[in-house]
Amino acid sequence: MNALKYHKLQRSSRRRDSVHGSSRGANRRGQLTALSLRASWRGNLVVLALFIVLILLPTPTPSFAQSKLQKSPAGYHGELDFPISWKRYYTVDEKNQIMRDLQAKYEHLADIQSIGKSRQGRDQMLLTITAKSTGKPEAKPAMWVDGAIHGNEINGVTCALYTAWYLLTRYDYDPYVYDLLNRVTFYILPGLNVDANDSYARYPNTANNPREPFRPMDDDGDGLFDEDPTEDIDGDGEITNMYAEDPEGAFKLSLDKRLFIPVADPREEVQRFRRVGMEGFDNDGDGRINEDDLGGPDPNRNFPFDWNLSNGRPYPLSEPETRNVFEFWLAHTNIFGSFHFHNTGKLIMFSAPPAARVTMTPEQQRTLQERNAQRLGEMRKTNQWAQLFDRVVDPAYQTDMTALTEIVTMGARILKDYRPTMSGLVGQAQAASYYMLGAYASLIELWSLPLDADENKDGRVSDEEMLKWIDIELGGEGWVTPHKFKHPDLGEVWIGGTAKKHITRTPPARYIEEEALRNCQFVLYCASQFPKVAIDKVEVKPATDNLLWVEVTVKNAGIYPTSSDRTVQLRKDVKDKLTVSMSDNVKLVEVPEGQTLLDPTNPADRVLAPKGKSAEFRLLSRGAQKFVYLVKLDGSDGWVEFEVTSKSGGTAKKRISFKQ
Amino acid sequence: MKKSRLFVLLIMLMVLSLAAPAAQKVPVSFNDYHGYTGTVKYIKDVAAAYPDITELIEIGKSGLGRPIYVLVISNMKTGTTIDRHVELRHPRNAEVKEVFHQKPYEGKPGQWIDGGMHGNEYTGTEVCLYIIDKLVSGYGSNAEITSAIDAKVIYVCPVTNPDGVFNSVEREISQRGNGDLGAAKDGPRDLNADGHITQFRFKDTKGTSVIDDKDPRLMVRLPASDPSTKPRYIVVTEGQKPAASGARPAGPAGVGASIDVNRNFPEGWWTDESFAGGTGAYPTSSPEAHALVEFVVNHRNILMTQNFHTSGGFTYRVPGTAPDTALAAKDVAVYDLVLGKKYLELIGEKVPEAWLKPEQMADFKTKLRGATKNKYAVERGYEMPRGWIMGYNEERDQRYGYGMVIDWWFQQYGAYAVTTELWNPANDIPGFPKIDPQSQDRNEQERALLKYNDEKYGGKLFVAWKPFKHPELGDGEIGGWIPKYRGNALPGEPLLGVCEKHWQFEFFRNGLLPQVAITEAKANVLYTSNSAKEATAVVQGDQVTIKKGAAKGKYKIVEVTATIENKGPLATHVARGAQLPGNRDDVVWLVGDRDKTKFLQGEPSMRLGVLDGQMRIPGMTSGPGAASAPGQRGSGGGAPPQVLPQMPPGMPGMPGGQRGQRGQGAQSPQQTGPRREVKWLVAVEGDAPLKVIVTSQKGGTVVKEIAVK
Repeated sequence: MNALKYHKLQRSSRRRDSVHGSSRGANRRGQLTALSLRASWRGNLVVLALFIVLILLPTPTPSFAQSKLQKSPAGYHGELDFPISWKRYYTVDEKNQIMRDLQAKYEHLADIQSIGKSRQGRDQMLLTITAKSTGKPEAKPAMWVDGAIHGNEINGVTCALYTAWYLLTRYDYDPYVYDLLNRVTFYILPGLNVDANDSYARYPNTANNPREPFRPMDDDGDGLFDEDPTEDIDGDGEITNMYAEDPEGAFKLSLDKRLFIPVADPREEVQRFRRVGMEGFDNDGDGRINEDDLGGPDPNRNFPFDWNLSNGRPYPLSEPETRNVFEFWLAHTNIFGSFHFHNTGKLIMFSAPPAARVTMTPEQQRTLQERNAQRLGEMRKTNQWAQLFDRVVDPAYQTDMTALTEIVTMGARILKDYRPTMSGLVGQAQAASYYMLGAYASLIELWSLPLDADENKDGRVSDEEMLKWIDIELGGEGWVTPHKFKHPDLGEVWIGGTAKKHITRTPPARYIEEEALRNCQFVLYCASQFPKVAIDKVEVKPATDNLLWVEVTVKNAGIYPTSSDRTVQLRKDVKDKLTVSMSDNVKLVEVPEGQTLLDPTNPADRVLAPKGKSAEFRLLSRGAQKFVYLVKLDGSDGWVEFEVTSKSGGTAKKRISFKQ
Repeated sequence: MKKSRLFVLLIMLMVLSLAAPAAQKVPVSFNDYHGYTGTVKYIKDVAAAYPDITELIEIGKSGLGRPIYVLVISNMKTGTTIDRHVELRHPRNAEVKEVFHQKPYEGKPGQWIDGGMHGNEYTGTEVCLYIIDKLVSGYGSNAEITSAIDAKVIYVCPVTNPDGVFNSVEREISQRGNGDLGAAKDGPRDLNADGHITQFRFKDTKGTSVIDDKDPRLMVRLPASDPSTKPRYIVVTEGQKPAASGARPAGPAGVGASIDVNRNFPEGWWTDESFAGGTGAYPTSSPEAHALVEFVVNHRNILMTQNFHTSGGFTYRVPGTAPDTALAAKDVAVYDLVLGKKYLELIGEKVPEAWLKPEQMADFKTKLRGATKNKYAVERGYEMPRGWIMGYNEERDQRYGYGMVIDWWFQQYGAYAVTTELWNPANDIPGFPKIDPQSQDRNEQERALLKYNDEKYGGKLFVAWKPFKHPELGDGEIGGWIPKYRGNALPGEPLLGVCEKHWQFEFFRNGLLPQVAITEAKANVLYTSNSAKEATAVVQGDQVTIKKGAAKGKYKIVEVTATIENKGPLATHVARGAQLPGNRDDVVWLVGDRDKTKFLQGEPSMRLGVLDGQMRIPGMTSGPGAASAPGQRGSGGGAPPQVLPQMPPGMPGMPGGQRGQRGQGAQSPQQTGPRREVKWLVAVEGDAPLKVIVTSQKGGTVVKEIAVK
């Protein structure tokens, strides 16, 4: 699928009628259908002087018409209505202020709340974004977006905040965003692990810390808690490597004295160094440095599903930060999908359905993998982004697997150098989201080592290549030059020869927005594929003088089914419902309940004769379901009305009137 | 609640017969249940009266906002923790507002006792209060109790489910879970305003109960197929309506569905098919389980735990969610042959022969083979006796339930946890008829209890049936047992008997706790030197040869030796020991003035492994090496249960990781048993004193100062 097709897809599923007040689209299609009365295959040809008028009942119209509609990609889409720099990282206080300002400016679209407090008492601020004029947030299917459950992965904060800003600023201008917010709710939590997020944004840290919430934990088993973390001992704002002069050491300074390189020739007469570790003091005087860093459990192993003590201790949702999130999810059953921003590696990870309980021999496994690889090769000839995963899913979950594969195929297209893959379980948030709530969950691993720095194409970025990349792309900023420092515990040490923190795990400022934009687009694409029910067509076939067969087809325009397979397995799914009502002179005639094949020559033409006035069902991925009713018309005029309601797919109504 | 004169009389009798000890500053009686309100008043009074040996902590709030309390009993003036002895320099505290301070009693071996986790099982609450009274009033007068309170800590949480206990006792609405059953639209209520919520019975041909021939106050259940022509009744809780067939009575309103707190813990909560097996939306979703778990994981010094329930008069040990193969052989022996044996003796039940002759276990296994279908019994050497069982159904190979607290205690925290089901009238009421458990007459025990009620309580525990016109169900009668006297030890003499028995059992368990000690610590000045660097030591095996420097100098080169021993009966961890995430090895520190002490050999902190106890565990032939059984199963939070990976040595960030090898390397790593000999060589400037500190999570923290002369 290419970009063009993707946009067409969007436009065809958009509600035009209410926006432009025209009677194109569904209306006209309906009339055509009604006119194409065809003779029943049974051959009881009855000629009726019957006029049928199809009326599309009004659906809730947003009270905010899109006054500033912008149709050109070269046009203005509201960016400067709320100017903000996407070329820097924000502290938690700054980010909260931005969220409050956004909410104040876009009151008709946004609510703000704290979902709870962190261990250190910081609020976890959440924006709820939807067009309030088309319904309450909790009445629409919702996309959850969080960033930086790992404290140091704060470009995830940016991606989540950017998504909020993008939606809010563009609603009045961009028909795509307009449609989205009219039918979908976004719950956006930029910054989940707020204490560690704030530390990473404000204080010197390594690229990898602090990752966890600040639950005191005795990492080194000496009886003391978090007593020996890394520190910026020389006060230069960075925590980098320490080296000590050592005649036996394996490193030497490079010619330009900017980095430590291995001594290649052991006979070389040169000043040698040994790597001591990251910058830090021996805080507890035990002769070791940085052996008990700040922080407790990995918050993304702290969720209840497939939790285990080793990875997620001390107990499921032990951290206020994770518990607040999960309690929010439990209280908001409209959450249909979730996004969780992490780094690094440029991966689109999704919570895949469980594998079928079959045991395969290694031989069978290999055969399967080979066959899949071959199939994927074939598929990629027509779509370079095609995806196929080596998982035979439990048959009860095939719909989910198919839909998710299609979604991440588009993800690969939108995010380009990101690779789709199935994510793990073990107490991870996205596993809990899918397996406990039934929501379709994605984990994005943002950013990676700049691969274009790998000049000799050996698959890795060496220190030299990294330094060159920093010199060229960042004008040299981003590198700590080795310098001497008198360490209170170790004596003289050298510090530096390493990249600064916003390089390897979080992008340098100038690359932040590009990453945020693409990821925001993928979130929006997923939300656009939330189920959307419609009454596709109504056909009327005369049976006898006053008996009519009325066939109605309901469909779901989204890639996602109206409820996930997992929701069904959890017995939490709410069925879609079709109800029929009619004028007094029209009576429903009971027909045997069940599947019927009206036309034996066309097995696809299945209809369901429901019992009574309402039918319950589940619409699958871009699925349709046809129903047939036999009605008796007394007199000359009458009407029949159909209404389809779906918890996550919205509602639609259609009425047909008979005139004889 | 009505006060009966008889009760007043009973109280007086009790006071006379018990003759409270002199040290009892806060009187307590067991003539009726304390409920939540009475319990809170009592423990607050105790905390106020005994500030030196108690601390009252609110560990959280129930779903309806009632505080959950733990009463800590320990001498508040003794005990220490390692963080008080290690000076931290250059702390990075800009980001860390919450500094973790350990309380002195966290450096003592600990025991946990709780009750009232099921709201309608409050006999355990009473036993908790009895134990509190025994401890605080025995302090200073009873030598054993005094030394226990000085050297150990007992955490008592008499009401873990305040809402359930409050409703069950104060409001007489029997409620197992949390929340408020009485708030349900069709919840129980006092229809005839007689002060009690009893039962309503009315005639109905579809009813399944008839009036008992032998005592018309009682009802007998009859199957629909029974040909009896006696009038049939439907019996419902006063205020409730008959449930539609198969449906459970309405749950509480207001706080979501009522959660059975004892199915809300993280161990074995999931089904094998990855769906919720326990109660609540997730493990620890109830505020009650959450409060308990959060408190406990921050107090790592507990080795013995009791989670009181009713009824039956027996004790569950673990496991309930997995077969016995989840336990190491050593833990099975501690549970059955040590704890179980004592328990059976206390309740007067025959101790299995195999427990008395553990050396003949192989023979017992042979005898059992073919005699039982229970493969676990064969593997173990004995069937579990009636009074001491595990939840897991060995014959059906089926778990008892999901997410029980004792499984969590043992598998995820590492404590010898048990649940005693208190109260068995046949054992706990003197002279009570021995009723054949196979008897077809289901009312036999009921009639005996009614008789006891008539004789000892003047019939006051039972409300006679009185006609009542139910607005919806029509004519019928209201009456029956006052619900709070159902399923729990009857107040007065029977309850006191239960309390005394279980106080003895818990105090016996207290006596088994480990207790580390530094039996000897010496500083031997070898010589002096002008430079700390001049001294060198050559190590060959256990021999250290010192190469001497100058005769006089500002540094004293000191050899420090210490002998460390666990003086308590049990080891400082269960068999899985320090491998359980959150547990750590016992550690020894040598601390001096940081600027004036240089370590030449040995390191400031060194790991000692797990110190064994003094007790020879029956049936265990070899040392602690035999303790870790291959069948160790992991903390299966998720499903299917996962095997806990052994932590590879050298994995950073894990206890037993990077520093394990370095720490242990210097000292004989092969040392096992309850004793350790440790040695350091340090250069000390001046007369700065040295301190040896041993810190064991569950064996206590002790300090010994050494003068360098």
